[in-house]
Amino acid sequence: MRTVVDLTRCQGYAQCVFLAPGVFELHGEEGLLYATAVPEDQEDRVRQAAAACPVQAILLGEEVSIGAR
Amino acid sequence: MASETLLARITDYSSRPDPYPLYAELREAGPVVRQADGSYLVGTYHEIAALLHDPRMSVDPRTRGAEAQQLPFLRLDDPEHHRLRTLAMRPFGPPHTPHRVDGMREEIDRITRELLDSLGAGERIDLVDDFAYPLPVTVICRLLGVPREDEPLFRAWSDALVAAADVRPGSDTTETDKAGEQAKMEMGGYLVNLAEQRRGKPSDDMLSAFVNEPDPALRLSREELAETAILLLIAGHETTVNLITNGVLTLLRRPDQLDLLRRRPDLLPRAVEELLRFEPPVHMRERIPRADVDVAGTTLPEGASVVLVLASGNRDPKRFDEPDRFDPTRPDNQHFGFGSGIHLCYGGPLARIEAYSALGALLPRLGTARLVEDPPPYRQNAMLRGPRHLPLHL
Repeated sequence: MRTVVDLTRCQGYAQCVFLAPGVFELHGEEGLLYATAVPEDQEDRVRQAAAACPVQAILLGEEVSIGAR
Repeated sequence: MASETLLARITDYSSRPDPYPLYAELREAGPVVRQADGSYLVGTYHEIAALLHDPRMSVDPRTRGAEAQQLPFLRLDDPEHHRLRTLAMRPFGPPHTPHRVDGMREEIDRITRELLDSLGAGERIDLVDDFAYPLPVTVICRLLGVPREDEPLFRAWSDALVAAADVRPGSDTTETDKAGEQAKMEMGGYLVNLAEQRRGKPSDDMLSAFVNEPDPALRLSREELAETAILLLIAGHETTVNLITNGVLTLLRRPDQLDLLRRRPDLLPRAVEELLRFEPPVHMRERIPRADVDVAGTTLPEGASVVLVLASGNRDPKRFDEPDRFDPTRPDNQHFGFGSGIHLCYGGPLARIEAYSALGALLPRLGTARLVEDPPPYRQNAMLRGPRHLPLHL
């Protein structure tokens, strides 16, 4: 699974960091860092993070576009 | 005009099982609807969103002249809100403690399992008293460091505080307010005392973390600690119970959706979001304009009481297709189940994990479950709306 966060939508609510701290990380109070390639054992957590995002900024897919790699 | 009595009709206890037709009437009456007592109701999605993000809209009761010495961050505006919420967040979530809530998953699953094992099979149970209430209570006690066996004590305080905070147009609130103040004093003393016992001997809980913070600039005062701990303990056990109970009720009323989730448990996270939209645990929040604020052609006057009906915004057809349909596959579900803006629910991630655990474990057993009565009896509270009991045959 791969993930991309639309950082123009992200408001720093950090719900994804709570639910999948192995994939999403806060840099300072609001800046978001994340891994585009989701380890297999983190897939359930990342699905929860994507569903929970208050601004629906997290995209999931088996493959995202080349630009996101 | 009938629309002037909408808040009174919504808060009337007879509306508790199904307030949604009144919310539809509210949205029909316009984005901003003045009530006979001078308060205002807002029930449409886009106007609620704009007001939740408007820094002129205060949550502080002192903005409309109420007296209060100390308030929890839920009832404070920035910058004071930001300072206290950030301090309260340090031992709970990112950026300082990103693994706390995720690290509770196994323990939450264990508590869920133990509660379910004690239910037996083929028996009549009360989902609220036997499962949906004890689960979040046990979790929040563990998280804060509050003895589970003290539940009867803080349940009484919590009842009084939650009753005092409800929306009750036209009724005399002197007695409930007084009972709320008394409960707040006793509960604050109790929680600060618990925290003090851990000064210098920290265990792995949030009261310990608060009272053992080494940096004086990051330490809560005694009064701030009392307010914060009361808020977290109450919020942690008065709301998640509704989410779990509403979830079971909603699924048992819709065997097709229950069946879908049983076949596709990967949809559970989206189903929980849809529940937060469709049957949110918190139906309304109050705001007070610090200045005259224009919304969709109406002026909300400075100091007025403005009730944002979040549960109505969640059913606004201008924002959600077929809003009265429960659809776990709904795309773009930006609901107000946890509010929005700077006061977005502090404990939302914990509530989600509790709901995943509770509903995930219940799903296999709901196929043969039957509701004993529909609608079930509801709690008095209009703001924190949910069943008081949910009798089931499991």
